[in-house]
Amino acid sequence: MTLTAEEIFDRLKEELGDAILDYEIKEYKTGVKKPRTYKEVWMEIDRSAFRRAIEAIFKIEYPHLHFITGEDIGESIRMIYSFGLFHEHPWGEVSIIIKFDLPKNELILPTITDLMIGAETNEREIREMLGVEFDGLKNKRHLFLPDDWPEGKYPWRRDEYGVDDMIKHTHKSVKEIREERGEQSG
Amino acid sequence: MAKTTYYVPIGPIHPALKEPIRVEAEVEGEKIVKVDVKRGFAHRGIEYMGMKRNAIQTLYLSERICGICSISHPYAFVIGSEKALGIEAPHRAQYIRPIIAELERIHSHILWLGVIAHEIGFDSLLFWTWKGREKVLDVLELITGNRINYSMYMIGGVRRDLKESHIKALRDMITYYWEFTEHMKEVFLSDPVYKARTRGVAQVPKDMALKLNLVGPTARAAGLRMDIRQDIPFDAYADIDVKAVVPQDIVGEARGDAYDVTMVRIYEIEQSLDIIEYCIDNLPEGRILAIPNYIALLNKIKKTEGEGIGAYEAPRGEVIHYFRYDGTRDGPSVWKVVAPSYNNINSWGYCLLGAEVADIPVVVAYIDPCMCCNDRVAVVKDSTGKMLDYSYIHKRAIEKTRMLEKELGVRR
Repeated sequence: MTLTAEEIFDRLKEELGDAILDYEIKEYKTGVKKPRTYKEVWMEIDRSAFRRAIEAIFKIEYPHLHFITGEDIGESIRMIYSFGLFHEHPWGEVSIIIKFDLPKNELILPTITDLMIGAETNEREIREMLGVEFDGLKNKRHLFLPDDWPEGKYPWRRDEYGVDDMIKHTHKSVKEIREERGEQSG
Repeated sequence: MAKTTYYVPIGPIHPALKEPIRVEAEVEGEKIVKVDVKRGFAHRGIEYMGMKRNAIQTLYLSERICGICSISHPYAFVIGSEKALGIEAPHRAQYIRPIIAELERIHSHILWLGVIAHEIGFDSLLFWTWKGREKVLDVLELITGNRINYSMYMIGGVRRDLKESHIKALRDMITYYWEFTEHMKEVFLSDPVYKARTRGVAQVPKDMALKLNLVGPTARAAGLRMDIRQDIPFDAYADIDVKAVVPQDIVGEARGDAYDVTMVRIYEIEQSLDIIEYCIDNLPEGRILAIPNYIALLNKIKKTEGEGIGAYEAPRGEVIHYFRYDGTRDGPSVWKVVAPSYNNINSWGYCLLGAEVADIPVVVAYIDPCMCCNDRVAVVKDSTGKMLDYSYIHKRAIEKTRMLEKELGVRR
C-alpha cells in the first residue's frame, strides 16, 4: 500500500503541527505517450522539530536517504535533507525534502545514524565540510579531507571559517610564495 | 599464547584497486576483525567549481565527474535543472536521451563483468568480455563522435540528432548483444568455478541493504526492487514501464552476494536492449532542443529562481543532483552531487567483517566502485604517464570516426 504525496503530508502535519513553517507540493509532468504526473513534498520546518520530523517519516515507511546537504547563507546554515518513500513501488516513490536553518552559534544536530546506519557517510561529510556537529555520531574521522586537515576550516563555508586564505596561493609557484614572504628561493 | 592482531593497510595505491582508496583492516590470522575505509584521495571539489561557472559549463564539468559513465551525471543534471527552471525537453529528445543512457549501461555492465573476472583471477574471461564491449563503444562513437564524454545532453534537449544510419547500426548492435548475453550467462552463471568463488561472498541481506542505504544493482541483488527508472520515471522511461531486475524474479530467491550481482547485471543488459529497441521503434519526429540559442538559455537561467532534484539510475545505482538557481547568476548557486559509490561503499565495512583476506578484492569489486564519482575527478594519461592534451585526443577521435563511417558505409 502506497500513500500519495498529499496523504504523506497530512500524516506529517498530524505529527508536527505548527512546526511546519512552510510547505509546497510540487507537481511535475512526465511521459510522452502516456503523460502522467508525480509529486514531491517540500517542507520548511522549525529546527527544534527536526528529530520528530525524521521519526515521523520512519513511522510511515523505512525511507531511502537521498542526500543531506547544507548551504552557508550568512547568519545561519540552511540544512536540506531529502528522503524517498515507497521506493520499491513503480511510479510510487515520493520525495520528501526537509529544510531548516541552523544558526552558526549553535551548529549541533541529533544524528540519524541510530535509525539508518548508512547516513553515517552523509553526516561525516557535512561535519567536515560545514562544521555541523552531530550528537551521537560514533565515527567522527574525516571522510574526504585528510586526517591532518587544520581544525576549524570548513571548505563549504563562505565566512571566515572557509578556506579563502588557504586557496589564495593556489595559482602561485612555491618560488613566488617564498619571494613574497621575503625568504630565499632555492 | 595471547592472540595478536595485525594491521593490513590496503591502498590508496594498490594493484587490486583501479583507483585510489584506502581500506584499513585489522586481521586475526586470515579473518578480518576491524575495518575502516578512507576516501578522498582524488577529491578536487568539482561542486565548488560548478558554483563558480555558468550552467552550460557546469553541465560539461558534471560529465567529467565519473571516469566511465559520462551520461549519468549530465542526465541527472539536465533533469534537475529542467525541474528547477521549468523547461520541458522536446519529445524527440526525450526518446534520444534514454537510447544513449542505455548504451552506456550496456558498456558499463560489460566492463564490470570483465573486472570481476579479473579480480577472481580469470583473465581470459576479462579479455573476452571487453572485446564484446567494443561493439557498443563503436556505436556510441558513431552517434556522438566520442567513446567517452559524449557531450550529448543540453538543458532542454540533446545536441545531436539520430540519423537513419545510426538506427541501422543500433539494430545490428541489438542482434549482436542478444547472442552475446546468452554466451555470458553460460560462462558466468553456469560456471562451477565462478560460482564457487562468488557464492556467499560479499553477502548483504535485504534488511541490511536498506539500513546501509545501498543503491543500484547492489541493492537489487539483495532483493530490493528499487530503480529510479521504475520509481520516479522520466522522459521515455515513463512510457515503457521499466521493471527493476531482481534475482527472485529470475531464480526465485535473492541472496545478495557477488553471484547475484553478476546475474542482475547480465539480465539488465537484456533489459537495456529492449528499451533501446522500443525507443527507436517509437522515435517521435520534431525538434531536439527546447531553447536552441545558448545565450537565450543562459539569460533565462539568470532570471529564473528555483530549486529541483534530478535523479537518474546510473549503471551503478542512483545519481542524485540537487540544484538551486537564485536568479542572480547564470549558474547554480548550490549544487550537490550524490554518486552511487558514495552510498555503496557503506557495504564494505559490513561485508569485510569476518571475511577472509583473499575475499577483499571481490568485496571491493562487487559494488563496481567508482572513486572518480565519489571524489569527482578524471585525468587522462598515456602509458608513459604523459598527460594527453585535448588536440591529440580530438585528432585521434576524428580519425577513428572517419574510419568507422567508411566501414559502415555512412555518408556525411
